[in-house]
Amino acid sequence: MGSPPHIAVIGGGSTGAGIARDLSMRGLDVTLVEQGNLTHGTTGRMHGLLHSGGRYAVSDRASARECIEENRVLREIATHCVEMTGGLFVKRPEDDEEYFQEKLRGCRTCGIPAEVVSGAEARAMEPHLAKDVEKAISVPDGAVDPFRLVVANAASAIEHGARIETHSTVRDVLIEEDEVIGLEVEHASGAGERVHGKEGGREEIRADYVVNATGAWAGRIGEMAGVDIEVRPSKGVMTIMNVRQVDTVINRCRPKGDADIVVPHETTAILGTTDEEVEDPEEYPEERWEVDMMIETLSELVPMLEDARTIRSFWGVRPLYEPPEVGSTDPTDITRDYFLLDHAERDDLEGMTSIVGGKFTTYRMMGEEISDHVCSQFGIDAECHTAEIPLPGSEDFTVLRDYMDEFGLRSPIGRRSVERLGSRADEVLNTSDPNPTVCTCEGVTRAEIQDAIAGSGSDLNAVRIRTRASMGNCQGGFCCHRLAGELHGEYDESTARAAWDGLLEERWKGQRHALWGEQLSQAALNYALQATTQNRDRDPADGDPVDFSAFDGGVGADGGSGTAGVATDGGPRDGD
Amino acid sequence: MSDTEPQTDFDPIEPNTGREFEPVDVFPATEEFDLRPGADSCFKCSACDTSCPVAEVDDDFPGPKFQGPEQWRLKRREGHEIDDSVMSCSNCMRCDDACPSGVPLSQMHNTARGEYVEEQMSKTSVEYWRNRVLSNYRTSAFLASKVPRLANVTMNFGPARWLMEKTMGVTAEREFPAFASTTFREWWAERGGADESRRRARAHRERRGLDRDADKRVAYFHGCYSNYNTTEVGKAMVRVYERYGYEVVAPEQKCSGTPMFANGMLADARRHAEVNVSSMADLVEQGYDAIASCTSCSMALRQEYPELFDIDGIETVAANTFESIEYLRIHEDLKADVREARVSGDLAREFAYHAPCHARNQGLERQSVELFGDLEGAGIEDVGDSCSGISGTYGWKEEKYETSMAIGEEMFDHMAAADGEVGMTECPTCAMQMEHGTGYEIRHPLELLEEALVENPRSEP
Ligand SMILES: Cc1cc2nc3c(=O)[nH]c(=O)nc-3n(C[C@H](O)[C@H](O)[C@H](O)COP(=O)(O)OP(=O)(O)OC[C@H]3O[C@@H](n4cnc5c(N)ncnc54)[C@H](O)[C@@H]3O)c2cc1C
Ligand code: SF4
Ligand code: SF4
Repeated sequence: MGSPPHIAVIGGGSTGAGIARDLSMRGLDVTLVEQGNLTHGTTGRMHGLLHSGGRYAVSDRASARECIEENRVLREIATHCVEMTGGLFVKRPEDDEEYFQEKLRGCRTCGIPAEVVSGAEARAMEPHLAKDVEKAISVPDGAVDPFRLVVANAASAIEHGARIETHSTVRDVLIEEDEVIGLEVEHASGAGERVHGKEGGREEIRADYVVNATGAWAGRIGEMAGVDIEVRPSKGVMTIMNVRQVDTVINRCRPKGDADIVVPHETTAILGTTDEEVEDPEEYPEERWEVDMMIETLSELVPMLEDARTIRSFWGVRPLYEPPEVGSTDPTDITRDYFLLDHAERDDLEGMTSIVGGKFTTYRMMGEEISDHVCSQFGIDAECHTAEIPLPGSEDFTVLRDYMDEFGLRSPIGRRSVERLGSRADEVLNTSDPNPTVCTCEGVTRAEIQDAIAGSGSDLNAVRIRTRASMGNCQGGFCCHRLAGELHGEYDESTARAAWDGLLEERWKGQRHALWGEQLSQAALNYALQATTQNRDRDPADGDPVDFSAFDGGVGADGGSGTAGVATDGGPRDGD
Repeated sequence: MSDTEPQTDFDPIEPNTGREFEPVDVFPATEEFDLRPGADSCFKCSACDTSCPVAEVDDDFPGPKFQGPEQWRLKRREGHEIDDSVMSCSNCMRCDDACPSGVPLSQMHNTARGEYVEEQMSKTSVEYWRNRVLSNYRTSAFLASKVPRLANVTMNFGPARWLMEKTMGVTAEREFPAFASTTFREWWAERGGADESRRRARAHRERRGLDRDADKRVAYFHGCYSNYNTTEVGKAMVRVYERYGYEVVAPEQKCSGTPMFANGMLADARRHAEVNVSSMADLVEQGYDAIASCTSCSMALRQEYPELFDIDGIETVAANTFESIEYLRIHEDLKADVREARVSGDLAREFAYHAPCHARNQGLERQSVELFGDLEGAGIEDVGDSCSGISGTYGWKEEKYETSMAIGEEMFDHMAAADGEVGMTECPTCAMQMEHGTGYEIRHPLELLEEALVENPRSEP
């Protein structure tokens, strides 16, 4: 064959990004389109658990086996996204002993390393565990950062020639004679990186094959193509605690139930979750009682959660799928397995396959299977290497050793930066320019912000998910304007303002569900600061750019000893 | 009526108002607490940073907000290093006092410093040994007090000091304090100890028309400095208290630990704290209150001990510890007595008063000024709310000397501008700094109180 086939992948979640990487590594020509940022969908709204498979060891052993297999793979290829925290299934006195034994047997049957530890041993590992926890099963659960993982997959795909279009919505699936021939895409700000204010437009993307990896939205794409895909979206709530009360994943050892897991995630701990079917993956109620219930129930495992500070809550929708003939009524009964729907076989529509269901942990395996399927359509016999070749950032982790002296950063900041950047740390942090900390809660320095801007344009929410800037306890109160300031140089003022607005809006959104206690104080302070010192409650400058030349240069600007213009550090001080 | 009848339910033992949180002893064998949850109270207002005297003069010091809540929040239970800047914090505790939200800042600093020294500082470094010697002042003072005159000469002997700076990093700029020829405890024993104190207290009770066996008993925590150097402060405490009918005991005690906290020598501090707590706890059980004349000592017993250690009886001791003048202001009508008194002679002077940071953290920064404002024959003027800059052993370190003097500058200026030519403060190391910066003689409020209230104090042995 001449040029390789061109594959259009819809959806920039873990599944789509994983497919794009796999296919491009096999030499195919790939374009990925995503309507928001990478991870805009469920992937950006999940729990961050790298499953050991323990959670499925009783109810869904096929999923459990896949999980432990992929758990081992991700530990190798995504070291900078994964933290091997270990996990515990803890048993309280009222929890069923029979189920505990069943869980243990299930883990062992599925090849999940599992050990029973006593209550005292469990508390030695996790001192904040409830005193009456009787015993626990320890399993190799881990924590995974979905943002970093998807960004790394996309970066790898780009390295292999793929085109990644974010803020580009598929409006129509183009069909000619019962064959999908491409997509009609609407770009919010033109092709390429997102830049606020850049004019958008429509584009027809021709493709030899289309992969629909839109998760909970798969039915919508199906509609555009005239096929029926019965995704059953099911929502779940997660609450982010300000600090890590636990450093191990804590699961409740009992049959399915709400609010049964705490995952340490970066600087925080995330409580989860619930499982409730919804009509629409975008419009569903987010209710306070869901958050209250979760804190209350999980306090039975970790009592200090009761009074601990939460910084925000968010909801995600699972893209659950089951063949229509099964007909489960309770969403918790729906399998967590994934399905590959070849529309040629199923609906006599050539040129498109949808992948639905599944889990984040098994994204790579899903990508491999669908890539095999796509290759077979074209008679291509290319091997999959995504399980062996590390993701960008995870190639060589020896850099962690000498992080501090080398980059001149303070201990915890250097350490956290290197944990996030992995093997890219040297490339990003080794700068001779001043490198102040821009986000102090998460310890993110200017160099890392600049690197993210280079990778994602003026979109500060994209910068946020790459760096964690503004995701700490002040929720952006003290750094959003600094992040906007970092756009200076490359981008003009109105672009920076629009990007700043977008970030502020997003930050406030999740805090709505945490407005009591300390986070309410924080929000009050943030509001006062942003309204009074930054004029964000009513900005007369919005719309027209500010005429900076109308301002004088400040004291000493003309003649005198001061320098004209503004030095970033405020310039030399008197007598210094 | 007392001067300081509590007006609110504000509890001086818990100076911060935030939600209480119980740190968990993560590794019971060591002193490591998991203080990450303490970061929950921080909403980043930066009040702590703006009140930190070190951050004000040292641009390389990241300040208490980083040092405390931010660093702790970023920490992992294992394998996370503490930034070395924690050694530049002087433990003045002003950040504690400034925080509107109850973040346990000094506890965070002290714990982090302990971890840093334990795990990251080389145990063979000069810095480590210098800090250890400085923080174990009690040991040095004990040795010196055996040969006070010789010590006074040699410790300040030029070439010896030069050598100390070069080999140990102890600044040659300062003069070592003079050692008393008789320690407080020697004086106390010679005077007849607790029995004699009871006899005198009873006599005073009778004179005042009180019940001869009234329950007025205090255990004096004199600390190292009143014992080895300014023994007149300790003697003044005893005489003033006896005059009000209190029986004084001077139980077995070691260093309060203040210099050890500041140097991250938590294991040393704990050893001393165990002795102090066990002897004080017994007495508190019997109805005694613990009284300190040094504001850092009272600070250690009431705040740092329970924050850092888990020792039997520590909470009871903390709840029953008071600073010497604070206690009398609570239980006696001190102000009226002082208003009626007059002083003459040596102490009939104008005093330039500096409130130590640790007094501030206990809410005591105004007590001396309020008390002596009406005293006939003497005057007192507050020289402002800046930090003296010495912070115990901090200003003794060669590399910290400049910072220490830069912080102290404001206080020196204000002292020079004040009418008085004699300084006054509760804290012995602030006193050193005041003297060093201005050349003034420095007195303790108890000395003035003794002069005002006790007739012929120096007529006894
Ligand atoms: C509450 C909750 C907790 C979870 N916790 C875990 C966990 O701890 N561990 C785990 O392994 N799994 C977990 N999961 C499951 C996991 O999050 C999902 O299975 C996985 O993220 C799905 O990824 P995806 O790429 O298939 O879907 P998505 O991430 O939803 O990606 C689909 C993308 O398609 C885009 N899209 C939709 N329509 C269009 C269009 N017309 N044009 C362009 N783009 C479009 C969307 O914007 C979206 O970004 C959780 C799920 C939920 C709901
Ligand atoms: S204790 Fe004093 S020197 Fe240390 S951080 Fe707090 S204010 Fe600054
Ligand atoms: S004063 Fe308290 S609340 Fe404010 S920044 Fe400092 S620690 Fe945080």
